[in-house]
Parts: sequence; C-alpha cells; structure tokens
Amino acid sequence: MSVFLKLDWFFKERKKEYILGLLMLTIVGILILIPPKIIGYVIDEIGSRTLTTVSLLKWIAIIIVVALVMYVMRYYWRMMIFGSSNYLAKILREKLFCHFTKMSSSFYQERRIGDLMAHATNDVSAVQQTAGAGVLTLFDSIVTGGFVIVAMAFTIDWRLTFIALIPMPFMALSTSFYGKLLHERFGIAQAAFSDLNDKTQESIAGIKVIKTFGQQKEDIADFTKLSENLVSKNMKVARVDSLFDPTISLIVGISFLLSLGFGAKFIVDGAMTIGDLVAFNTYLGLLVWPMLAFGMLFNIMERGSASYDRIHQLLSIPVEIDDKVDALDTRPAGDIIFAVDDFKFPGEQKSSLKNVHFELKQGQTLGIVGKTGAGKTAILKLLLREFEGYEGKIIFGQHQIDEYKKSRLKEAIGYVPQEHFLFSTTITNNIAFSNIDVEREKVEHVAKLAYIHEDILAFSNGYETIVGERGVSLSGGQKQRISIARALLTNPELLILDDSLSAVDAKTEEAILQSLKNERQHATTIITSHRLSAIEHAHLIIVLHEGTIVEKGTHEQLMALKGKYYEMYQLQQLERLVEKGGEADE
Amino acid sequence: MNNQPTFSNREQTKILLRLLKYLKPHKISVFFALFLLTLTVIGDVLGPYIIKVFLDNHVAVLNFETKPIVFLAGSYFAIQVLNVFISYFQLVKFQEIALNVIGQLRIDVFSKIHQLGTRFFDTTPAGSIVSRATNDTEAIKDLFVSVLSSFVQAAFLIVGMYVAMFLLNPILACFALLILPLIIMVIYIYRKYSSVVYMTMREKLSQLNVKLSESLSGMGIVQAFRQEERFNDEFHQINNEHFRSAMNNTKLNSLLLRPVIDLIYFVAVVLLLSYFGVSSFETAVEVGVIFAFITYINRFFEPINQVMEQLALFQQALVASSRVFALIDEEELEPAQQQTDYEIRDGFIEFKNVTFSYDGKTPVLKNISFTVNPGETVALVGSTGSGKSSIINLLMRFYEFEHGDIFIDGHSIKSYSKNELRRKLGLVLQDPFLFYGTIDSNIRLHDKNLTDKEVQAAAQFVQADQFIEQLPDKYNQKVTERGSTLSSGQRQLIAFARTIATNPKVLVLDEATASIDTETEVAIQSSLEKMRKGRTTIAIAHRLSTIQDAELILVMHKGEIVERGNHQQLLSQKGLYHKMYLLQNGIVE
Repeated sequence: MSVFLKLDWFFKERKKEYILGLLMLTIVGILILIPPKIIGYVIDEIGSRTLTTVSLLKWIAIIIVVALVMYVMRYYWRMMIFGSSNYLAKILREKLFCHFTKMSSSFYQERRIGDLMAHATNDVSAVQQTAGAGVLTLFDSIVTGGFVIVAMAFTIDWRLTFIALIPMPFMALSTSFYGKLLHERFGIAQAAFSDLNDKTQESIAGIKVIKTFGQQKEDIADFTKLSENLVSKNMKVARVDSLFDPTISLIVGISFLLSLGFGAKFIVDGAMTIGDLVAFNTYLGLLVWPMLAFGMLFNIMERGSASYDRIHQLLSIPVEIDDKVDALDTRPAGDIIFAVDDFKFPGEQKSSLKNVHFELKQGQTLGIVGKTGAGKTAILKLLLREFEGYEGKIIFGQHQIDEYKKSRLKEAIGYVPQEHFLFSTTITNNIAFSNIDVEREKVEHVAKLAYIHEDILAFSNGYETIVGERGVSLSGGQKQRISIARALLTNPELLILDDSLSAVDAKTEEAILQSLKNERQHATTIITSHRLSAIEHAHLIIVLHEGTIVEKGTHEQLMALKGKYYEMYQLQQLERLVEKGGEADE
Repeated sequence: MNNQPTFSNREQTKILLRLLKYLKPHKISVFFALFLLTLTVIGDVLGPYIIKVFLDNHVAVLNFETKPIVFLAGSYFAIQVLNVFISYFQLVKFQEIALNVIGQLRIDVFSKIHQLGTRFFDTTPAGSIVSRATNDTEAIKDLFVSVLSSFVQAAFLIVGMYVAMFLLNPILACFALLILPLIIMVIYIYRKYSSVVYMTMREKLSQLNVKLSESLSGMGIVQAFRQEERFNDEFHQINNEHFRSAMNNTKLNSLLLRPVIDLIYFVAVVLLLSYFGVSSFETAVEVGVIFAFITYINRFFEPINQVMEQLALFQQALVASSRVFALIDEEELEPAQQQTDYEIRDGFIEFKNVTFSYDGKTPVLKNISFTVNPGETVALVGSTGSGKSSIINLLMRFYEFEHGDIFIDGHSIKSYSKNELRRKLGLVLQDPFLFYGTIDSNIRLHDKNLTDKEVQAAAQFVQADQFIEQLPDKYNQKVTERGSTLSSGQRQLIAFARTIATNPKVLVLDEATASIDTETEVAIQSSLEKMRKGRTTIAIAHRLSTIQDAELILVMHKGEIVERGNHQQLLSQKGLYHKMYLLQNGIVE
C-alpha cells in the first residue's frame, strides 16, 4: 500500500478524475449485478411458464439499458484512470528530464546513460502501471468483488455463497505466487537476452577479426549456445506463465461443482430456484477477475514502489555546482589568472593537477601540450566550472570565476570539446546551437571561419542537411570543424579548443588557425593539442606531465631548451611529411 | 527507422506465410499441440453439457437417484482435472514451439550476418544490424507466443462452442452465429484505427527515447551553450505529443476493446433470452439448455477479448518480420572462393595490374603490380587515402575486385578455399580487438586443438608472457569488453600472440599508430621482428625506423606506387623517402 501513499501528491492533483473514475467503477460494479439476476428470473418464469410478452420485453429492456449505461461508464472510467496514469508518466518524465539538465558532469561520469534511460522508461512505466492498473485492481478486488459477494449472499443464499467461496482464496494466493515466480524468471530471461545482445554487438564490432581467423562457424556455434540458453530461460518463464489459466479454471471448476451440488440440495429443500442457481453461477464467473486482481495487486504494488523509490532517489540528488547568493550578473572579460595548487577529481586519490600557474592577457593564445592524462582536460574543466573543490584561484577579468553567475561565465566561453558531439538535426541548427534563431549570414560566416562552408555546400541539402545517426555521416574532421563553428557563433570572450583539430589535415588546420587569429584579435584562446603545429604560434605554451608544468614559454624558447617539447617537435615534423605524402616535394 | 511502414493485405499474408514456414521442422509438435488443444476444447464444451443434463434430468424434475448423480459429478470433476493437465501441457507446448522457431530464426539471422561482405558493414550502422538479430526477433517472438497461439486457441474454442450449440439447438445456434459478423466488424474497425493510433504512439515513444538519449549524451554541450531551457521545451513538446497519442490509444481501447465486447455479450444474452422466452410461449423449454447456452456464451467471449488485446502487437511484429527478412535476403555477400585443395606452401605473392574502387567510380588503387618473394618483407608507406589499406583489404579478401589479379604461389587468390586462406594468411589489425573472455580465450579464439602449452608458447614468442605472468590470474585473467583494462600496447601483444598461434605463412600487418607508451613499444618492435622471420610479410608502416630492413618498400600516393625499392635504393633516389630519412636522423636541410 505504501506506494499509494507515496503517490499521494499525484492523487490529490488528479482528485477529480480519480473520484469520478472510481465512482463510475462503483456504478459499473453495481450494474453488473443486474443481468445475472434477470437471467435467473427469466429462467424461473420460463420454468414455471409464467413468462409473458410484457415481462420478457421488460427484462430485455432493462438488460439493454444496463448494458448501454455500463458501456458509457466503462469508457469514462478508463479515460479517467488510465488517462491519469498516462499523465503521471508524462510529468515524471518531465521532472526527470528537467533534473537531468541541471546535473553536473560528475553526475554523468558516475552513471551510464543506459541506466538513466532505464529510469526514465522502465521505472516510469512501472509507476504508471501502479497509478492505472494498480488502482484498478485494488478497487476491483475490494469493491467489485465485495459487491458480487454481497449480492450472492443477500439476494440468493449466504450458505451457498460461503461454500462456493472456499476455493477462491487459493486463486488469489496461487496467482500472487505465480506472479512473483514469473517476475523472477522473467528477470533471468531478460539477462539471457542481454547476454545475447552483447554477444551480437561484440561479434559485429569484431567482425574483421572473426573473418580474418575464419572463425565464423565457431562464432555461430557460440551464438547458438546463447540462443539456446535464452530459449531454455524463456521456457522456464513459459512453464510458470502457462500455470495461470489451468489453475484458474481448476479453482473455478471446483467452485462451480460445489455450488451446483449444494445448490441442487437447496433447490430440493425449496430454499432457492433453478433460476437462482443459474444467477449464482454467473456471479461466480464475475468473481474470477476480482480474485485474479487481488493476486496481481501485490506484485504491481511491489514493482511500482521499487521503481518510484529509484526515481525519487534520482530526483533528490542535489544540484552540485550552483550560483552563489550574490553572484555577479556580468559577462566576464579580461585577463585570466590560473593558479591551482592542487586538484583531485572526486573519488580519486591522485592529484590531477599540482602547482599549475599561468597568466593569460586578454587577446593572447595559450597552448597546452601533454600526453593523455597529463592534466590538459582538468585545466579546461576547472575553467568551465564543471568541477570545484581545488586549492587555489582561477580569476577571469576582475573576479574569481565562481563569483559570476554560472550562465554568464558559460556565455563568455566558447568550448569545443574533444569528443565532437553533434545532434541529429540540420547543420544550421547544430552551428546555431547557442542561438537557434540567428540569421543565416552569421551561420555562414562562422562556417567560413571554421573552413567547413565549402564542405557544407557540397552536401545535397547544403545547410539543411541532417547529420547524425539518421542523416549524413560526416568525417571526424568535418564534425570538428562544425563544432568549432558552433563555438564561434557566440563570439566568446574565451575560446577553448580541446584537441579539436586532431582530425583535420595540416593545411586546413593552418587555415583555421589563421582565420581565428584575424577574427579574434582581442579575444583569448586556449588550445590543447597532440599536434604541435596547432599551438606553435601561441603566446604561451605549457607542457604538462602528470599534472604539473614541466616546460613553459614560447615556441622559440622551448625549442632552444631542447627538452621534451623539442623532442616532440622533431618527431612530428617527420610524421607530417609522411602524411603529406608525395606533395612533400613542393 | 521511425516511419513505420504499413502493409497491404497481400504483403501481410506473404510475411505471415514466410513466418509459418518456420513451423515445418516442428510439424509433429504442432500436430501434437493441436491435438491437445482439441482435447481441452472438448473438455470445455463437455462441462456445461454435463451440468445441463444434471439440471434437466435431476434438478428440474426433482429426481435425485444417487448413482447417476455421482456419475455426473465424478465425470465433471474428472474432466476438469484432466483438462487442467492437458491444457497446461498444451500451453507449454505452444510456447516451446514458438520459442524454438524464434531461436532458429535468430540463428539464421546471425549466420547470415557472417556471410555478408565488408561492404555491407561499411554502409549499415552496427546498431541496426544488432537489433535485427535481437530486438526484432524478440518482437516476432511476441507474435508467435502471444498472438498466434491465442488466435489458434480462440478459433478452436469458438468452433467447439458452436458445434456444441448446434448439437443442443440448431436454430438458436444459427441465431448465435449472427453475433460473429458483429465481432468481425469490431475487429476490423479496431484494426483500421489502431494500426494508425498505436503506431503513432510507438513512433512518438521512440522519438521521446531518441530525444532523451541524445540529450543525455550531449548534456555537456547543452550546458556549455546554456541551452537547458530550449531542450526542456523541446522535450516538453515531444512528451506532450506522446501523451496525446497515448490518450488517443487509451480512448480507442476504451471505445473498442473490452467495453464493446461486453456490449456485444449483452446483445447475445438478449438474443438468447428472447429466443427461449418466445419459444416458451408455445412449448416447454428445458432449463438446462438455457443454462448451457448462457455458459457457452460467457466462455465464448473470453478468447475474443484476449485476441483483441493482442491485435496491437500484431502490426509491430509484422514490421519487425519484414526487417528481419530484408536482412536474410540481403545480397551483399562476402567474396566467393572456389573449392580447390590448393595449398599455400611458400608464400610467394604477386599483385598484377590490380585496379580497385569501393564505389565503382573513383579508383583507390590504380594498376598496382608488385611481387614479394617467400620470406621477404614488403612495406607500404604513404598518407591516409593513398591506398595502403586497400591493398591489405584485397589481399585479405574483405572486398571483391574485378580488374587484375592477385596470385599466391602462382594460383589466383580467388581459387583458394576460404579455410586455406584464413589458415595461411595472418592479419594483425591496427586496432587490436579483444573479445569478452580471458587472455587465453583471446589468444586461442575457439581453436580447441591448441594446447595450453601452445598458447603460452605463442605468448612467449611475441614476449607477451612478461606482462601476462604478472597478472593475478595469468592466462585466465578476465578480459572485459573491448579489453579496456589492458593498455593498448598489451592488447596489441595479445593480438600478435593470437596470430602467431595459428602459425601463418603470410603475415599482414597494419601497424599501430595509437599512442603506446615507450616501454611496450620497444617490446612490440622486437616482437614484430621475430614474427616476420621466415614469413612473407606485407606491412603498413607509419614509423619508418621499423622497416629499414624490408626487402621492398613501396611509397604510395593517391592509389599509385610512386617510389619503390629497398632502403638504400630509395635513399639514392633522393625523393620523398630520402627526405624522411634525413629528418629522422635530425639532419634538417
């Protein structure tokens, strides 16, 4: 029952619908008692040959009216109750989504998107079930079932009612038991299904290896084994699933037999008529569903409750990084002072940054070099205020970055991430992401700056081409350049290119860097890169190793140092030449 | 994928018939299940008849002779109990058949996937191939397990009820037939609307999920560009649309499912009562017959309700089936091999005027010719798109080519059996793909003939044993998905061991460019050197230092070989290779 208490707020919100719906259910519960009675009367009148045209017409008219009223009522209570449960699903999804948009990147690092999706789909639909079918089964099993029993006991014979009901609790018990068993086995079958899914995914991802080693047959054998396992797990489900109908019909059959045997005795005693017995049996038929519902009720509630708890738990995760009370409502601009003595990612022992200090004047470009894991991304994440809890200060313009409103800070930064993520919509909408209504000229302008304009025109639908999974697949370099255009559109105070030129060829890289230089003379830029050519021109270059700065200076200074930077530079010159291929002769 | 197609009746029948063909191997089981079903239907029909006899012969005339009554009660009870068992086995049997059919279909799909050529995988997203083999077949399972078996059961039960009614009272049974068209009409109307309404709801749901998963994956970008509000609005809009379509679906179900079937039930009851009432004006009517008819009519509607509720699944399963069959019918197969018993003994390779294009328009290899002597190494150098990888793709028979030919030991590569090629050509991919399992299973790859010793020897040979021995479970160390717990260098070494374990005659290397730490790189280079010894090797080299001792170096550019020769010859040509060499030694011109 606790789940109904937890959903209390919702039932209050939809008070009108639930009251109306349950009222109609009650009326249906009463009306449904009438036809069996009438059938009984007609049979008695036929038996005693007292049936007249008038009485027959009367009975038939009543049945027709009752049937029509019931049809209308049944339609409306469904709309009220199932409609409300649809509504519940809708608002839960909305709440979750809104909450997801407020969660920081550490939230997303700790959770898998598949799991979050499962909460927003499976758990929501389990709760929806509770508010719809759950309410219905609760009401049906108690109210409708109660009415039928009352009608049997008071209008026909209470002794017979008692006798006929003896087997019924077994139905509720067994269906509840089966339900539980079914749920367990279904879970196991689901796991087998997901094994099969993983296997298929792996085989397709590794198809070249399988082909190379000529292992198709063995791989199919492997799959066959998993498929057979799934079949056998599903069979276990089927064995429980198939128990429901026979059990129900057995229990109902026994009930029937009891009521017929004792009913016949009561008829002989003159306590009831044959018509009563027929009506009684029809009532028994009406009891089947409430008894089943009673058995199912517990399972529905249990699942709904667990799902609701999971959703609730997710919703109660607080927003991690929020604005300070008197946060500045200005767009930061000016010099950047980065002075972080120590920073660890949450839950990690090792420091990701140690004694990283640098200053960047407005309009300057900073280049950051280092291996994966050297701390490049950590610097950027702190600048973007995706993480907090570091020792030291980060100042942007006149103030520390956490003194600005978060939205204003983000407004000032144009971020081009390492994983170039595009949304499956048109190229225009992807570039105009930060301002979806911006004029076309601006979109084209930044596309030209990012050297992607020509590529876009070459697509069949130009700027209106859909990209992503359901559209044109772009090369890594094209995606990167669109991401750059997207960031340029906001005309940011600080542009961050997080290894965002890795997939474009050397010539284009040079061109993009040149156009950035011309366009953004007074704005600050930070570039991280594996490839040194992307940062050669920077005013300041820092070389990171295991979270600390090992070399710092301009390109010339670092080359003269003949250290790490110099080594890397030499190596890459060679690779560049190889990449340029035959054109290197120029 | 979101636009669910609608099918004409003919297409539906075609798909259904093709699905039913899968029942063929289970013919005997099907007949047995149908036989059991017939028995349960007879039981269902007999029950009310016994009660009728009881009511008419005993209760109505107040004749309570013990023996016949005990007989009646006994047989009623026996039939009930028997029926419980038979119907249980019948239900299980139907499910068993359905599950086995789907199991087979799934294996067929998967086997087909393995026959498909690389071209197919280039053009079809992996996710959609996976869902053909899993989600779509699962939808067909629902069709077989729920829809078809409940259709068959309903049909049998309805026929059984009608037969019983005809035996009891043919005229009334004819009247009862009148409700059939009514039901068929409701089904028709429901199908007509639900195919639209239900499909719209499914489509909105999938849009909702796509939006959700995309937003979750791109949340970093959404937040960085402060678009939370817009995304909330967009989600709100789709959520609302989904809600509206769900309400339409609820409305349709409320109008046309259970409530309307119940209404028809009352029509049937009214029909019955009027008939018996009117006939009672003239002659006496047996009360038991009325009872039996009422019971039959009550039972009659249960399977109909069940069938109606499954109808929505039907459409979905048809869509899934059509997709599965499209994959099974896919014609982009892998290149064919002739079945000969030619063997690769020496590993003498010759490319002769090979021209190749992926799309049939722009050639990526133009008239390529070269030879590699047994045991020698040829290295391919050049930029991305120069054609290096295509040479390997053709040699490995990933793609079919039309112009020119490739010979191994004098026979065309097309004439070797698939087995022979796979056994004698060993490819090491740039991205060493590891499977979920253990180190051991990743080296031996299903080859049960390999002994543990041989596996370890292979690891030793490529010097992978050093790091493997340091793992807590050594060769039985678990390898997670894609081998994410191992460094890329370690993964590469395992991939080497895997290739060496098959002892190939020809080695094809796509050298790794991934950032590998210096220590493992040294190990990898010396392993490679060992592996190449005594084997014909074709290698793509990104680092020139590794190929100085190659007998032949081909410098490729735009599908052509622009320079060729050994290290010394290329140096004296003073071309590109020369430049590279100078740079490598730190002598900048």
